[in-house]
Amino acid sequence: MSEIPLPQTVKRVAPWWLLRHETMLAAILFVALVILGVLNNRFLTLDNLLNQGRLTTEVGLIALPMTFIIITGGIDLSVGSIVGLCAIMLGYSWKIFGFPLPLAICFSLVVGAAAGFLNGLVITKVKVPPLIMTIATLALYRGLAEGISQAHSVRGYPEWFYFVGQSDLFGVPAQLWLLLIAIVVAGIALDRTTFGRTLYAIGNNETAARFSGLPVDRVKLIIYTLSGLMAGLSAFVLVSRVTTTRSDMGSGYELDVIAAVVLGGTSIFGGLGTIWGTIVGLAMIQLLKNGLALTGVKGDATIVVIGAVLILSTLVAGSLQRRRDGV
Amino acid sequence: MKLRLAAVLFSATLLAGTASAADKRWDGADDLPVNPLACSAGEASAAPAAKPYDGGQPTNAPDKAGKPISLVDVPKLIGIGYFNATTKGMQDAAKTLGNVTAKTDGPTEAKIDEQIKFIDNTITSGVDGILFAANDPVAIAPVLKKALSKGIHVVGYDANATPDAREWFINQAEFNGIAKAMIDSMAKEAGEDKSFAIVTSTFTTPNQARWIAEMSAYAQKCHPKLKWLETVEAQEDNNLSFNQATTLINKYGDKLSGLFGMTSVATPASAEAVTKAKLCGKVAVVGLATPNAMKPYVNADCVKSVVLWNPVDLGYAATYVMRAVVDGKLKPGATSVEAGKLGKLNVVNGSEILLGSPFIFTKQNIKDFDF
Amino acid sequence: MIAATLTRTEADPRRLLKALASQEVLLAIAVVGLAIAVGFYNPRFLATRNLSDVLLGNAYIAVAAVGMSMVIISGNIDISVGSLIGVLATLSGTLAVDGAPIIITWLVPLVVGVLVMAAQGAVIAYLRIPAIVVTLGMLSILKGGLISATGGKWITDLPDGFHLADIELFGTVPMPVLLMIVATILAALWMRHSASGRTIYAVGGNAEAARLCGISQPRTTVMVFALHGFFAGVAALLYATQLRVIQSTVPPNLELTIITASVVGGVSILGGVGTVIGSSLAAILIAEIASALVFTDVSPYWIRAVQGSLILITVIADILRRRRMAGA
Repeated sequence: MSEIPLPQTVKRVAPWWLLRHETMLAAILFVALVILGVLNNRFLTLDNLLNQGRLTTEVGLIALPMTFIIITGGIDLSVGSIVGLCAIMLGYSWKIFGFPLPLAICFSLVVGAAAGFLNGLVITKVKVPPLIMTIATLALYRGLAEGISQAHSVRGYPEWFYFVGQSDLFGVPAQLWLLLIAIVVAGIALDRTTFGRTLYAIGNNETAARFSGLPVDRVKLIIYTLSGLMAGLSAFVLVSRVTTTRSDMGSGYELDVIAAVVLGGTSIFGGLGTIWGTIVGLAMIQLLKNGLALTGVKGDATIVVIGAVLILSTLVAGSLQRRRDGV
Repeated sequence: MKLRLAAVLFSATLLAGTASAADKRWDGADDLPVNPLACSAGEASAAPAAKPYDGGQPTNAPDKAGKPISLVDVPKLIGIGYFNATTKGMQDAAKTLGNVTAKTDGPTEAKIDEQIKFIDNTITSGVDGILFAANDPVAIAPVLKKALSKGIHVVGYDANATPDAREWFINQAEFNGIAKAMIDSMAKEAGEDKSFAIVTSTFTTPNQARWIAEMSAYAQKCHPKLKWLETVEAQEDNNLSFNQATTLINKYGDKLSGLFGMTSVATPASAEAVTKAKLCGKVAVVGLATPNAMKPYVNADCVKSVVLWNPVDLGYAATYVMRAVVDGKLKPGATSVEAGKLGKLNVVNGSEILLGSPFIFTKQNIKDFDF
Repeated sequence: MIAATLTRTEADPRRLLKALASQEVLLAIAVVGLAIAVGFYNPRFLATRNLSDVLLGNAYIAVAAVGMSMVIISGNIDISVGSLIGVLATLSGTLAVDGAPIIITWLVPLVVGVLVMAAQGAVIAYLRIPAIVVTLGMLSILKGGLISATGGKWITDLPDGFHLADIELFGTVPMPVLLMIVATILAALWMRHSASGRTIYAVGGNAEAARLCGISQPRTTVMVFALHGFFAGVAALLYATQLRVIQSTVPPNLELTIITASVVGGVSILGGVGTVIGSSLAAILIAEIASALVFTDVSPYWIRAVQGSLILITVIADILRRRRMAGA
């Protein structure tokens, strides 16, 4: 009678939580911070770090719903254009429609949500793949911003308008509070609610999720609308920070956001990802850019480094993840 | 049903498009007042009433008179010949002055958001002075004011910021001076009653928008029979500018007698389009460009004149002005400043320093320049 | 009844073929239809000079779209191609100015393009990093690297023989158009009728099934990217040899335009569907629309919006058509 051999247990190199992508990334980030801090003594000051937080807010706000979207296996390339459209609509509705400024701000948020809603609607009802739909709306929304603004900028806002973009609240930049609140809400939603669980389910196997009775279409509609809404909020913060509106605002944001999300361990194939990872990814990119600049590295060399870091981090974290999973 | 929705969306956008075609503006997108010069030939005297100094001032700037200073230059973007030339001027000035180190670093695309981040990093790294050419005059103001509040000197060149955000601005040439030079050249080469089109970068680039606005006002005043056909955008891309210029040539055929190029990318591309279409001599090309890019066309008699100023001198002057400010030799209220080999430069409009009049490159003198 | 079933199954492949081909037909109709419509508004649009200018100025996009379509059909994506074209164009121009033989200046971008792209393909296939990550990273590396290497200086003083795009074969057919047509037809034939060409569709359609058939996905991926690099090299050549100066920066948003051409051409992002003929026609259509918008006096402020909505409509129409075909 032969013994059925027991399967070999995979030898663990280290405790499972240590080898998680996010932890590895945080470790790399920590090392990078230390190195950059040593190379330049102005880098690790509270002043500088808070300032970087201020500058990361616009991309950060958008990165949160983008994490949701990529977890479901989708993508949204139109976020940058929605930022531009909302910025223009903020100024336009204030100046041309004559809305009182608070109403104009709300109006621009509604425009952002509507733009996101349109994305979600076509993606869920007509079943256009997200990549294609958002490539088309990237052009369309930017075009609307250009057409409506007719190349005019709107300036001259009252003092209180600049508070969010330029002032501090209890020593921390005002927009950073906004981002922190958004992070907490997004983190809880993803980790602790059925909504979050549904996102992972959709990303892992959409058909199975549908057959399990999960409201797949409704959830997708929500996340794309949310993406547009956050883009609108980001536009408000941006206009408040730079005191003017331009139709080219936000251009290129989509790539920055996607880089941060993907760097943070969210898989582009769906089903994996955390808000915490996105935050680490965001911090990594922003602080690397800042640290390198302070060390005297020029702009063009900096983006080379960022590109290399993106590829290498994904490589390292990915292979460690596979080792952990015993693949 | 959905196709009908799509069709409605499309027609709406198209209608909006054609409806706004009636817009008769050339494209001076900002709504600032225009100030066309006198029509007579030769230099218009720049003798407006002296404006009081309206620049910003740094708070508690350390006294570095006579001491070595380090500057960072943040142009609109890096990687185009024009700003390579201004950088060269700055390096030349730094070498002559001996106690200045200047570094140029900027975004790879003309985006204001990126430029602000560059300036912000510069502030954190603690420099003595910042030189800039703004992608947007208002958007850049908050970060420049922050620099001033930290005791850093701020001097602009090429593209201005709102006056209170910088101490001085080196103006290469007055907007209306450039407009006059361009329109006069076109009227001379193409004819007083001919039609022309404009190729620009984008409608939201402040300098280009101002020039076009001034060109419009000057033409209406002094060359009323000159007819404007349309303005097209071509970003800062060579191939796109070429394609747009070619499209214009094909669209208007004989009706088009001249092309304006508003950037150092658009002008050579337009000249190339005219050359390829074998219309040299029939379609005049007038524009702003660096001499090296235009040499083949000027030497082939396709382009008669290229309007510019000397960007190398512009960078040179900016560095000298910064040095003078740090040394305390240039204070608010001054009427002129010494700028090394450029001699004495005048202060106009309160806090602007005028480099001089626009320079016209022709076949005779273009070979003397290398930038 | 059996006869009816037989005829139905026999009819299906033909109908399927028709479904696959009809996006191309639709595009061809759109290209011709648009030209005629604009011609009514401004007859100068139909002048040979103009039509050939539209083709000449944008042929390089169609060529690049051939390679991109292959990549997308195989189930991947590449957003670094715009930066790569900028690098290859500058490389070619620098060699020409430094006095290298003209034929070398034309061949080097092709070789370098193949190598760079194949390397990306290998990283994607063997190191198993998602294509979007690798190409996003490469985009930055190439863009920054180009500016670092050249300092942004334009390349002027190109030698006379360099301008490949100016050559007219047999005195009438301009090189860019010729290369576009040849590249498209050769690629289409290869993908449809050769075994290795068909592996691209197989891997893109269902990688697991392909693997069970013995098709190696990693090898196919590297091959596809290598081919993509080749076409990117040809595109870079056309781009570089068109004008008298080479701007040593990457053309902005070029990769997006190329992807749009592929997608509008009927290439499905889910992989396994589409043809390069579609993408070339789509590239021509996109170029034609850009020119048409100027000819029809559409306000320049609204040009981008009109382009965007046209893309949106095309894409929606394509998906609806596919669903109707599949459902019916």
